[in-house]
Amino acid sequence: MVSIESAATPGTSSLPAARVRRIIKEDKDIFACGSDSLFLISRATEYFIDSLVRESYEFSRLDKRKTVQYKDMAKAVQSIEQYDFLTDIIPPTVSLKKNAN
Amino acid sequence: MSDYEGGPANDDDLSLPRATVYKLIAEMLPDDVACAKDTRDLLLDCCNEFIHLIASESNEICEKEAKKTIAAEHVLAALRELGFEKYVGEVEEAYGEHRQQQTKDRGRKSTKLNRLGLSEEELLRSQEFLFAQARMRFQNQAAQGAPDGGGGSGGGSA
Repeated sequence: MVSIESAATPGTSSLPAARVRRIIKEDKDIFACGSDSLFLISRATEYFIDSLVRESYEFSRLDKRKTVQYKDMAKAVQSIEQYDFLTDIIPPTVSLKKNAN
Repeated sequence: MSDYEGGPANDDDLSLPRATVYKLIAEMLPDDVACAKDTRDLLLDCCNEFIHLIASESNEICEKEAKKTIAAEHVLAALRELGFEKYVGEVEEAYGEHRQQQTKDRGRKSTKLNRLGLSEEELLRSQEFLFAQARMRFQNQAAQGAPDGGGGSGGGSA
């Protein structure tokens, strides 16, 4: 995995800390999140974006396209076990059988 | 809106800033490849889910240790638990850089006083001296103003 050049200073995240914290706080079960943890979650999210984008692009390439489309991301989510948590927000737009060839 | 921070009006629309994420996507793809708009928006939603997932798992691990605040090691354990071990190495590295950066910032903040080259005792003495001066000045002003019934400050309006 290519390392992400993040912002201007090393040890920072491109994602705004305050926003990430607000998203985390939506979960009422969470009492508190340290700022270090906040940073780690931000960075992990950046790596997540990187992975998902690249994996989606793989499907675009297989289809000989230069634009990553919704269905590419849908296929990426369906094909990778760690992305099971995303199945609810990506209803399968294409049946796997149809695209088996 | 009185304090517009550039974010959504209510928490229901809370997501990462579009422009930032769009830029990250563009950086991650080759120059001649584009990402459809609906795909980018989908990715934004996926990010939200991911953050919730990691935070929630970190919180569970945190609670199991009878702690109340999610700590760095909880997040790392959560990533491993959820099958994202491949992120752990780079995240740990970034964490190291992050803490180095924090130490640098802390160091910078404390040098202002250190640069004066005075000990704490000397600083206290000079502070007391300045207070004493100010007190004397105040007492002198008061002494001058009192005799004619305090007519010193500002004249009446015409």
